[in-house]
Amino acid sequence: MVSQDALNLAVSLMTSHFGDLVAKVCGCLLQGGTLSLQEIVRCTELSNSQVKNGLLVLIQHNCVQAFSVPKQAGAGGATKSLTQYMALFDNILHRMRFTKFLAIVRDDLGPQCETLLEGLLQHGRLTFDQLVVRATSKQSEDSSSIRDVLRKNLERLVHGQYVERCPRPEPFIAPTSEEGTASARRRSAKSKEETYSLEQQAMIAAALSHAERFSVITDSGRESSDVKDADKQDVSVGDKRKFEVLELDEEVQAAITETEVLWRANFQKFVHCLEKKACVANVRSRLGLDAGVVLEALVESSDQEKDNFVKASMDGILEAVRGKPGGISMTLEHIRIVLDQLGCSSSIEDNNVFYKMEVQCIIESCQNDEVESLVLSRYGKEAYRIFRLLIKKGSLVETEQISDITFVEKKVAQGILYKLWNDDYLYMQKVISIGAGQLQHFLWKVEKHSLWELVLNHMYHAALNLNQKIAHIVEQEQEVLQAREKREQLRKSRMILELSLLKVDDALMLFHDFKR
Amino acid sequence: MSRPPMTPQKRRQPDSQTQPPALPESERIVYELIKSRKNMGIWIADIKREAGIQNIIVTKALKSLQSKNLIKDVVNVHNKSRKTFMAVEFEPSKEVSGGSWYSDGSLDTEFINILRMMCLKHIEDLRIATIEDIHKCIAASRIMKVECTMQQVLEIVRALALDKEIEELKSTGVAEFSMVQSGKICYRRSRGRQGPSVGHLSSIPCGMCPRISECTPEGVISPNTCVYYKQWLKLEF
Repeated sequence: MVSQDALNLAVSLMTSHFGDLVAKVCGCLLQGGTLSLQEIVRCTELSNSQVKNGLLVLIQHNCVQAFSVPKQAGAGGATKSLTQYMALFDNILHRMRFTKFLAIVRDDLGPQCETLLEGLLQHGRLTFDQLVVRATSKQSEDSSSIRDVLRKNLERLVHGQYVERCPRPEPFIAPTSEEGTASARRRSAKSKEETYSLEQQAMIAAALSHAERFSVITDSGRESSDVKDADKQDVSVGDKRKFEVLELDEEVQAAITETEVLWRANFQKFVHCLEKKACVANVRSRLGLDAGVVLEALVESSDQEKDNFVKASMDGILEAVRGKPGGISMTLEHIRIVLDQLGCSSSIEDNNVFYKMEVQCIIESCQNDEVESLVLSRYGKEAYRIFRLLIKKGSLVETEQISDITFVEKKVAQGILYKLWNDDYLYMQKVISIGAGQLQHFLWKVEKHSLWELVLNHMYHAALNLNQKIAHIVEQEQEVLQAREKREQLRKSRMILELSLLKVDDALMLFHDFKR
Repeated sequence: MSRPPMTPQKRRQPDSQTQPPALPESERIVYELIKSRKNMGIWIADIKREAGIQNIIVTKALKSLQSKNLIKDVVNVHNKSRKTFMAVEFEPSKEVSGGSWYSDGSLDTEFINILRMMCLKHIEDLRIATIEDIHKCIAASRIMKVECTMQQVLEIVRALALDKEIEELKSTGVAEFSMVQSGKICYRRSRGRQGPSVGHLSSIPCGMCPRISECTPEGVISPNTCVYYKQWLKLEF
């Protein structure tokens, strides 16, 4: 369940993108959790068809996932299936950052791929044929040449994992029993059997295998053979037989792939890209340009996409560093020292030296920086020093000790600590010592988990406010069409707000999407 | 800058050869009570309560003892308004004086700032410095009229690290760390940005707003009516 601030932001986004009706359905799911159609109708007080239309839009735009569960018809009756719907909060928020996703693809693959991705983001999910129709309507070129170019660009996007096949639209979730969901258990990498919630089971069941997700359309419309082989290995025995039976001739396969396979943006990939970018930016600002260059090189040469670390060979890092501004002058020794300072561990595999680094420690550093900055701006320099001490200690510290270490007079320190505690930035514990009379001691600590939640909600609220202010300014711009100076002032204000929203969104990703 | 000589925790032991001059009974009671509290001192209200003599006599006795230079009044850093007395041969304990960073019951910010600047300068000059290096440089510079201990330097340097003016690192023993033993703690100026960074949330009015919990889209306090937004965007309408 999401917090009220998160809910408000999500509903606001849905309202501005799709209107009140869709926003109402979405809000109902975010608040109520997984619901059936009838439950949504009851909750929203909309008609059946209105809710259905709302759900269709939300599913089309990857904001809702449907799944079926068994439903007992009655005593002795046949088991039917009931469709349930769950909102995908992360995907709803991603709608705020489409411009960032487009910029990533533009930088990596060029403007044509960016345009193709734009279509997918605008429409949520499209088949290849639909992409062709969209492109043809905008250009006057011959449709077959457009088709070829589009196919190549789509392949590039899929190879880069920026685009994927859509998940299964409505997987059936069998009841949790001894058999359980075989696929859910098999996919679990943990040795002990985990209990997944219904929603987690639905997501697992809907997900395609890695090979299926990124199975490209080749020139002849045939899926590449090595992908097909990998796909075959990935399925169970029963599914394998079905696969062989359904194997059709190449032309029909191509037709199915182009007309029926739905493609969408792979948000996971974009989140990874933005995460690495944030890490590089943080390291650059903390440790200098050289450290930023080396980390960027390590990230680019790493082939670890899903894990919490980046790992690359020294040769790969060296090559990547040399290609960067200022990189050519960096010696091997200097690069080794920087890698050491970054906290990388090294190992030797196949006579090559590999460097590995946990991304999480940089993310934590970014998060600490963000919260410390908040404390500084809200409570001042002394509060900042005190807060930094407590974050570093990670345990309870007594007032007098805080006062001594931070060079803040005890009474002043007490006042600051009280203010921070009152605003839920700190946890406080009172201890009474009985010696020569009773003495009260106050111990203080930063409870990261609860504070990080508080800060995240603050960010949701700030993002909502910025969105609202931008909309307000746009309205005002319409009203002052004749007054040039006022319009110019409003335009500048809107730019400041939009840039600020991008920054706040970066912070949101830091606390919501990049966390492990 | 001058400060009284700093010899924390050092106290002259009362000379057993010299006896205090003969005191009237009331003064003797008060004096022995104060002396018994050694370097902790005693609050005047506690003296009046424990001496068992009239308050007015206690007050007279205290004045007389002070004029005879047998007792002194000290500032208790935790309760500056409380008059505290101590025998002259004792130096106030850390609990009373606040420690070596306090002067007359208040933090000696002038001394602290000077020491901070000196530590920063020496760290910058040395590029990579241990506590011993910094202490040696400060002592050699002879700028300080009073002795500054290694412990004091360590405390200052740790506060600088909390302010992100410097970084605390472990020496690798190679390259720029070649002058420092491997594994030893050392310090250098922050390579990248020095001091705190400006966060994303704190760069907008909402980040610092004291009324954020009362702010709602349609409320009296809302983004559309927000005065902080108006000031920030310099909107006059």
